[in-house]
Parts: sequence; structure tokens; C-alpha cells
Amino acid sequence: MSFLQLQHVSRRFDNGSRGLANVSVSIEQGSMVFLTGHSGAGKSTLLKMLIGAEQPTSGRVLVDGSDVSQLGSKQMPWYRRQVGVVLQDHNLLEDRSVFDNVALPLRITHLRSKDVERRVRGALSTVDLSDKGHLFPRHLSTGEQQRVGIARAVVNRPRIILADEPTGNLDPYLSRQVITLFHQFRDLGSTVLVASHDIDLIKDQGCRILHLSQGELVQDTANSEQASD
Amino acid sequence: MAKSTKSRSDKGVERWQPQGSYLRAWLADHARVASDTTLFVSQRMLSSLLVWLMVGVALTLPGLLWIAHSNLQTFSEQWQGNAGLTVYMKLTASDAAVADMAEGLRQRVNIARVEVTTPEQALQQMLAQSGDSEFLRQALVAVETNPLPASFAVVPDSGASFLALEALRRQLLAESGVDDVVIETTWLERLRDLSDLVSRVGAGLSIMLLLSAVMVVFASVRIAIESRLGELRVLALIGATPAQMRRPFLYFGSAYGLGGGFVAIMLIAVFLNQIEAPLLSLAVSYQVGVQIAGFNPAFLLVMLLLGWVLGVLGALLALSQRSPSA
Repeated sequence: MSFLQLQHVSRRFDNGSRGLANVSVSIEQGSMVFLTGHSGAGKSTLLKMLIGAEQPTSGRVLVDGSDVSQLGSKQMPWYRRQVGVVLQDHNLLEDRSVFDNVALPLRITHLRSKDVERRVRGALSTVDLSDKGHLFPRHLSTGEQQRVGIARAVVNRPRIILADEPTGNLDPYLSRQVITLFHQFRDLGSTVLVASHDIDLIKDQGCRILHLSQGELVQDTANSEQASD
Repeated sequence: MAKSTKSRSDKGVERWQPQGSYLRAWLADHARVASDTTLFVSQRMLSSLLVWLMVGVALTLPGLLWIAHSNLQTFSEQWQGNAGLTVYMKLTASDAAVADMAEGLRQRVNIARVEVTTPEQALQQMLAQSGDSEFLRQALVAVETNPLPASFAVVPDSGASFLALEALRRQLLAESGVDDVVIETTWLERLRDLSDLVSRVGAGLSIMLLLSAVMVVFASVRIAIESRLGELRVLALIGATPAQMRRPFLYFGSAYGLGGGFVAIMLIAVFLNQIEAPLLSLAVSYQVGVQIAGFNPAFLLVMLLLGWVLGVLGALLALSQRSPSA
């Protein structure tokens, strides 16, 4: 059974514009998929639906059998604790150190301090920032800030990682580093969905690519491969 | 088909439930938020001090009025024993009967002083109090006789209780020639009226001031929410529950309220200290023993509790206006 499923999902905004139009797609657990398309194609809308921050106008968004739009206010927080989110602008808290930023998802789950410390150190080590835990975000470069955001997204060992333009502010070298990290998390069992408009970066990654245009799914490389087979 | 989809969906929903000890998690979260709140307040000490001062000033007047009210009550209870009686003789009582009654009263052990007012003296007093009214003079001429009886102002020993006064009144009523005996409570009634006025005016002012304290906390917590919207968005994304997102602001409200209560206690203590000496001096001039009561541990606890309740109310109001969510 597919882990993530969008069944005929459409989203129309209050101003009449179309976010998504009848999108249906299934993603297997432990896979890494790229979501691509121009600005306004519907990539962020799709990710927001998977986070539960947007509701579909019609259709269903299923995660491991649960309809995300049907989750109540009591279930939603626990669902989101299973989802790691990486955003283009990092959303780091400027008044907290790198360590505290990464520890935030663990603190709300009430892990013991020593477990928090161990897991934050591990996450920082994964993104190669072991020696920067005491610094504040303003002391870091853009690439380092993005890696802190990634560490925060994965520190809770989420089952799903959703990344919205994670390389948008990075140079090609740092972008490849970040994508390599996502491959590592996929290898550890997470299902990774990365939205990016950087075709050059993602085309050689050997992953499935979903191409959106004006809210419609216009290309799915998985189907293309099946067709060519 | 629809049924199987629903049951699968329900099973999925059950998967996103809290795990582990809820109580331990709840306590841990409170400890974390308390620590964060202490840090937040201490990092903004000047603005926190201003909020505490504003809430404290708003709480001070109600606190002072409460102390004034409770002291006026105590004061009136203490003075009841010194109220005194007025004995009115019958109009038909002879001068000899009046003199015998005066002598009998003076010989009683529990009576400190007896002042006799003859019918003539009473008439003169009434005329004087009426401003020597011509109408009253003509009325008196018309009735031809003095309509006022002889009377005695009887002042019992100090410390006599209201019950002792009532017993004395009954005894005197039984004496021959006595028409009526009245326990003099006019001044007590005035004091009670004053106390009632203080209570009513105080209650109105207090409600307004307490509302202003709620508004001060409301505005401060609202600013805190606005300044932390970015953090709240992150918290919502990583799975903080609505209660976890509201909790810091309830703690801010509590901190502002408790701090305000503490400031109010300090201000009231200073005020009472300042008025104690002149009040005692005034009391001595009236030969009355006065000690300011009410500023006790229970009062301090009530002030802190009141401050806390107002702080939480202000925070709840702010949260209802600008609830943090995803």
C-alpha cells in the first residue's frame, strides 16, 4: 500500500485562483521524490496539504491510511511530530542558539535532557555543524542556517520529510550537499518529498520526479519509465 | 468500499495519538514554560517592571479600600459599648420624680455619668436648633404648655457591650415615671452610612481599576504574542499542541499579575506606614484606641491571588483575540 496518497486533490483559493487541479499520486514508504515546476505551479500547496496547513477543496490526502484533512486538533500535533519540514527561509528562532533551535521538536515531546542532548548532537553531526551548537543563527552563513533547519527537521526521526525549496538560497555546491543529506535520511527509512524548481540539480539524482504546472500534475517520471518499459 | 476506507482511516487517526505518560509530559512542559517565562521576563526587565507597576497601582486602591472598610467595621464594633442611653420621663412626671430618678441612676455601679435635661432646657435647645423660629414660638404659645419631657443622657462605663446596654434599657423602662428609653445610635448609624458609602464607591472604583489591570495585562500579552508569531508558526509546524502554544502566554499573564500583586502589597505597606502616626494621634485626641487591622497574611495572600487571577484573565482575553495557531 502507498504511504502517501493524493486522490483527485483540488484546491481553489478564496480569490478564485487554482492551487491544485485533480492531482492523484502515490508515493511509497522510504522513497525520495522531487516535486518540480515553476513558481505558482502548486508545489508549496501540495506540501502544505501534507502538513495539514491547507485543506483540499475536493479529494483526499492520505498519509499511512489517515486522511490528513480529517485529523482533529488533538491528532494534528502528533501527526506533525512525524513530519519533518524544511523551508527555504529556514524559520530559525533568532534568539535561540543553534542547539536550542534543533532541540525544539524534542523539547515539546518531553524527552529527557540527556536524550535531547544526545539526539541534537547527532543531528548536528549529520549536517556537519557539531562545533556550531553554541552559536546563534545570525552568526552562521546561509548554507549553515539551511543545514540547521534540516537538522531541526530530522532530529525527531520523522517518518516523512517535506522540503520546500531547500536549496533556493544556496550555491550549487551547497545545494548538492543538502540533497545528499536527504538521500541519507531516505536511506535511514524516511519518505522524502523535495519541492524544487532547480531542474539541473535534481535530474541526475536518480529519483522520481513529479512535474506540476498551473496546479496540474503534467509529468510523473515513474509513469514515464513504466510507459517506456 | 466506503466502509473499508473509513475503518482504515480511523485506524490511521488512532496512530497520531500522544504516547507515554501524559502527566509526566504535562509537568515537564510546565517546568519548561516556567523557565522560559522567567527568562523572557528577566530579558525585558524594564517593560516588565512597568507592567508590574501599572497592575500594582490598579490593585492598590481596592486593597486600601478593603482595609479601610474592615477597619471602619472594627471601629464601629469597638465603640458600640460607649453609645449611651437617653431616658425620657413622662410629661406628667413631677420634678421630685425626675430628681429621684437622677439620683437612682447615679448610684448604679455600671453608669459613668448622668446628665439631666429639664423640659425648659429641652425647649431652649429645640428653639436654638430651629434658629429661633417664629413659627415654632407661635406653635408653643398655641399649645400653652411645654410639650417636651425631662430626659437623662446616661453614659455607661466604657467597655459596656451592646447587650449590657439593652439590659439596662429594659430595667429603666420598668421604672415608674419613665416613658421611653432610647439607645443612642445616631452616630453609629452615621458611621455605618459612611462605611456603606466607602464600600459602594470603593466597589465601583475597584471594579474599574481591576478592569484596567486586566487591560494592562491583555495589552502586554498581546504584544508578546505578536512578537512571537514567528516562533508560534514554527511550533505549530513541528507539532506543538494548542495548549503548548497558549501556555507561555498564560504564564506571562500569571507573572505580570503576581508581580502586580506584590507591587500593590509594597505600596499599601508604605501607605499604611505613612498614615499610621497621624491616625494614632487623631485617635488619641478622641480618647479612642486605634490599631490598623487587616494587613495580615490572609490579606497578602488574597492580593497575590487577585493579581494572579487578573493576570490570567488578561492573558485569556489576549489569547481569545489572537490565538496562536498554524
